[in-house]
Amino acid sequence: MIRTTAVPRPVRVGTALLGVAGIVTLAGCSGGTTSDAAAPVDSAAAPTATSAPSSSAAAGGSTAAGTYKDGTYEATGQYATPESVESIDVTLTIAGDTVTAVEVTGDPQAAESRRYQSEFIGGIADEVVGKKLDEISVTKVAGSSLTSGGFNEAVDTIKTEARA
Amino acid sequence: MTSPTATGSTWTFNAIGTSWAIDTALPLPSVARDAVAAVVDRFDREWSRFRADSLVSALAAGREASVRAPDDTDAMLSLYDELDAATSGAVNPLVGDALARLGYDARLTLTPSGEPEAAPPWRETLRWGDGELAVARPVTIDVGALGKGRLVDLVLDTVRAHIDGDVVVDGSGDLAARGTPIPVALEHPYDASRAIGVVTVADGALCASAINRRAWGDGLHHVLDARTGAPVRAFAATWALADTALRADALATALFFDGGPELAASWNAHWVRMRTDGRVEWSPGFAGEIFA
Repeated sequence: MIRTTAVPRPVRVGTALLGVAGIVTLAGCSGGTTSDAAAPVDSAAAPTATSAPSSSAAAGGSTAAGTYKDGTYEATGQYATPESVESIDVTLTIAGDTVTAVEVTGDPQAAESRRYQSEFIGGIADEVVGKKLDEISVTKVAGSSLTSGGFNEAVDTIKTEARA
Repeated sequence: MTSPTATGSTWTFNAIGTSWAIDTALPLPSVARDAVAAVVDRFDREWSRFRADSLVSALAAGREASVRAPDDTDAMLSLYDELDAATSGAVNPLVGDALARLGYDARLTLTPSGEPEAAPPWRETLRWGDGELAVARPVTIDVGALGKGRLVDLVLDTVRAHIDGDVVVDGSGDLAARGTPIPVALEHPYDASRAIGVVTVADGALCASAINRRAWGDGLHHVLDARTGAPVRAFAATWALADTALRADALATALFFDGGPELAASWNAHWVRMRTDGRVEWSPGFAGEIFA
């Protein structure tokens, strides 16, 4: 989970909303399935706070200075991966035409990794190169079983035959 | 590599197709070595599909339909029951003929004799109880999913019956330790000079499985999905920690398949596994270190 608390500053609300809507829409597109919006807490501001795919255009068209009702807006985007349905929640707080807080729960950029995590999988790391064994202090090394002379000779034999 | 433990003596030998090392504080007396050798020899005569005079070879060749059940029959086959259920049939003790078909046969042909073939349904084919192990028709039992772990446990028990103090039984990939905890590197399956992490084994077992060594051709290695008879492709290496090497070995096999992590959770066991694309996963609360 990412929590981003924006320092209150005068930003163009439309741009900020576009960014958020873009995240949700992107999530919807990348999954190729559904993206539905939760009703904003303040339904009066629904047109720009919703996150249905079409809203990015709507948000984009609203970049001209406008006024937005103070309040907290929430939206949920969902998309399917081969393993699961992912979703992210976005909460936006607006006060005086200024975005004062953004909270994103569920990071779409980490979804590739996150989707493998579950109650049964504690974590996942991208491609692990590891460390040289002589750089670490261990008593034993655990990997696949060493193969015996018989197996190694048999492999050598078929390699030789393959070359012949 | 350094050896920070107090182990003072190492006895190495070859058995069941791989190398073994037993570390003890004091040298193992010859009577203990003889006892270990007898345990290993008995297990091999009973369960090895690579020797013509074993019990499983007699069943596979149809020379016998029923044999006196070895001591380890129930311990191992009961665990296969759990493995089968957890992996939806991917792990099956009758995978021997499917392995042989790919070339990993008793003569080490190492040349496929045909397309992969699924292992037969083992519960209908294999029966044990009343001191007997029987097959409905000739089939090749292969306890590779957990057999070496079982043997590590048997060897550890034998050693401890003869000597006190720290003991590490390392059956190459599967090890069990008693006494001083030992740090163990998790060997990178694509580069044996590297480790992807390190874990401490304390009064328990760590078993590893990987597709890199018992491999003999393009995509041909010893970890098969019994449902298809084809080598697995999603995971390259697995490591599991458990109270016994039998369970750790079984889990290391299950982790090549969906359902492995769930089985580990039900056993309160920890694990690490590497996908063939190099990504590494681990169990919730895994206490070791991954060099991510």
